[in-house]
Amino acid sequence: MPLQVFFLRRLLLTIPLLVGITLFSFIIANAVPSDPVSANIPQNAFDNEEIIAAFRAKWGLDKPPHEQYLTYLGNLLRGDLGVSIKTSKPVLEDIRQFLPATVELAGFAILIGMALGIGTGIVSAVWRNSIADYLTRGYVVIGVSFPIFVLALIGLNVLHVQWGIVAGPGRLDFIIRDPPAVTGLFMVDAAIAGQWDKFANAFSHIILPAFVLGSFVAGIIARITRSSMLEVLGMDYIRTARSHGLRERRVVIRHALSNAMIPIVTVIGLSTANLMTGAVLIESIFAWPGIGRYAFRAATSQDFPAIMGVSILIASIYVMVNFLVDILYYFLDPRIRVA
Amino acid sequence: MRKSILFVLAVALVLLAGFGAAAQDEKVLVIGHTEQTDFYDPANGFTGTTSMVRRATYDTLVTFPDEDASEILPSLATSWSVSDDGLSYNFTLDDTPRFNNGDSVTAEDVAFSLLRLKYVNGNPSFLADNIDSAVANEDGTVTVNLSSVRPTFVTELANTAFSITNADVVRANGGTDGMDAAETDGAADYLNQNSAGTGPYQLESWAPQDETVLVRNPHYVGDAPYFDRILIVNIPEAATQKAALESGQIDIATDLTPDQIVELEGNMDINIWSGPGQWNHFLIMNADPEIGGPVSDPKVWLAVRLAIDYEGFLELWPGSTTPGTVMNIFLAGAFQADRALSRDLDRSRALLAEAGYPDGFDIDLKYPDWNAFGVDMNINAQKIQADLAEAGIRVNLAPGEFGVALEEYRLGNAGFGYWLWGPDINDPVDVLAFVPGGKVATERLRFTEERAPAEILELRDAVKQESDPMRRAELFEQIQLWLQESGNFAPFLYPPTQTALRSGISGYNWHPQWVMDVALISRDEM
Repeated sequence: MPLQVFFLRRLLLTIPLLVGITLFSFIIANAVPSDPVSANIPQNAFDNEEIIAAFRAKWGLDKPPHEQYLTYLGNLLRGDLGVSIKTSKPVLEDIRQFLPATVELAGFAILIGMALGIGTGIVSAVWRNSIADYLTRGYVVIGVSFPIFVLALIGLNVLHVQWGIVAGPGRLDFIIRDPPAVTGLFMVDAAIAGQWDKFANAFSHIILPAFVLGSFVAGIIARITRSSMLEVLGMDYIRTARSHGLRERRVVIRHALSNAMIPIVTVIGLSTANLMTGAVLIESIFAWPGIGRYAFRAATSQDFPAIMGVSILIASIYVMVNFLVDILYYFLDPRIRVA
Repeated sequence: MRKSILFVLAVALVLLAGFGAAAQDEKVLVIGHTEQTDFYDPANGFTGTTSMVRRATYDTLVTFPDEDASEILPSLATSWSVSDDGLSYNFTLDDTPRFNNGDSVTAEDVAFSLLRLKYVNGNPSFLADNIDSAVANEDGTVTVNLSSVRPTFVTELANTAFSITNADVVRANGGTDGMDAAETDGAADYLNQNSAGTGPYQLESWAPQDETVLVRNPHYVGDAPYFDRILIVNIPEAATQKAALESGQIDIATDLTPDQIVELEGNMDINIWSGPGQWNHFLIMNADPEIGGPVSDPKVWLAVRLAIDYEGFLELWPGSTTPGTVMNIFLAGAFQADRALSRDLDRSRALLAEAGYPDGFDIDLKYPDWNAFGVDMNINAQKIQADLAEAGIRVNLAPGEFGVALEEYRLGNAGFGYWLWGPDINDPVDVLAFVPGGKVATERLRFTEERAPAEILELRDAVKQESDPMRRAELFEQIQLWLQESGNFAPFLYPPTQTALRSGISGYNWHPQWVMDVALISRDEM
């Protein structure tokens, strides 16, 4: 199948998916047996009909649900995600404010996760049943099963408070002003502005939360890498490569790893999407103003426009990551090109 | 070789961690806080964070002392008078304060601010319900006419929702005080990012759920505050606030749990400010037999109050006190711990038997699964379960998600529950929410006027009209005695407010109206 057709087919499939997500989020948000009025209006104003009516009218809650939904879809087509009840700002503006922090954190975390996970996975598979293998397997079990918030709190209290070798909560020391906004990624923006002290400060702040998130992902990647590599290393073509006298490093990296990559890429893709959307705990513990924390606040305060906006964003991230993974498959596995 | 690489890495990390921490000329105060801001616009916002910021950026006509809400003091109004019929108030204004753009405060600004609050139908607009008109007089005074007598009117004016804004600036940014302001006012966006007041600071920026930045008001006429910039940083996790405070990243942590406060007590770098809190924790009992079942019986109400181990709650939450009634303890005339009920299990069991429950009964306790400002409501609910079991009441704990539980409570459908209350009005009249006809007693718990004895209704009506302080105090005394004996609430815990500060920070004081006044805070010079 030509790449363009493959690309187009994947792209078209995302449209009904996104519409379905908006409908699903709308139904779930409306099915919760509580009212945005209670979540957003002070108790003493509950019996003031004018205030309640003004609130409902302002947020369109006085209209029947189907009308609310259709209005939302209409606005969505014009690129308008509505205004957040909690922040009083357009949801799109909120997403622009909060998403870069999450992208920066998740990007760093996935790099750490890949480096640790793929590295230990290869070592574990190549030297199977060695001490390195047992250590890796132990690490995988701990990495995957250890509660991430406990690791975060231990890291914060020991590495930041007690030893002072990493910076604490926030994206920068609180007294430092943000670098001039270009991408919203502080390290990138600081580098663009040539503010290297801010770059270093941002790096020192991201390292701990990214390592905590990355260590969890690394466990999963290591497990998949190990099993996938073990399978490939047992293949005839590996034996053939070795019998041709190729150096072991070349056999492992060039011939084994490249053929073991499909499941690893899948896991990395899913992990990236998970990190981008599910880092609520880490963002809360590290006072990281990202989209996870925004989504949590939206859900607990019945902020419908924000809930819908974040749902669409999360769905889009999953769709995009899956799409990228599919494209990678296309290049990694020639059989997909033929199918 | 490997050791040296590790050493270099460790040194690099330490250096990086220290970057940016270099001394700077600007004096900055960093407050770690769980942000609850809805709006910074005075006419629309009504949360603790909002009050704190408005206290720093605006002034009101009258105010409270720095430490508490014990009396009314002049602020933008130097004096005021009330007409004989109690319906008309006249305020004389101080002509020295300047808005943050240099403009003087006029009677027109005052009238505009009060009417905008009334008509915009924002979260705090209920406070201005009773205002019929606000008129800027030619002599520079302001007359406010009320639609009915309200002895607490001047007290309520100290609420930061009544902040006086610069009418010209607000109008220029879409604001209006017209009767159609709910539909036509568009100044909230501007006032969420800028202030237009006379306070010692002005709002520089607000990144919702992230950070609020205040800088000095260049035209402030009072004593200049110590700090150049105030950063209010949203740190929702108490454990993170504690870590940031211990490492010196923040100067003040407002939301630590009692356990964390105890952990910090030996730390020489940190001081703990402790004082009366704001939240009264109590059980609610629905007066409608169909909803409340056994807890709709007045005898059971008292039996429940007498079954609670009040001393045990004080041990559970160090620094707490036992509330005398549902009236918050810092309100004038409120019963303190020395007048609180004590546990009397024999009398409690006898009352249950009189009510027809000699073997007790089973009941669900509904409450939000929530950490209420450092107090885990689940822990208290478990203790209530254990305490009432000793009297024969078998409680089944039924926690719910906050919004869901609040909705059930708000609609009056909760039979037996656990909630808390902080007053919106710093006047004893706030307690009327808990007597029949009041917001909580009737709307939430169906204790209607028809179900209530005439005695309490007469007391309630009398105190609403009474402006003589001595007579008011007597009436509130009788109302509290009635609540102790016959009310459908069981208040059991009043936790303290505890704030952790870096040593060297002084001038901090928790305030029931505006949380803290950042303009009074300073740092001891080395």
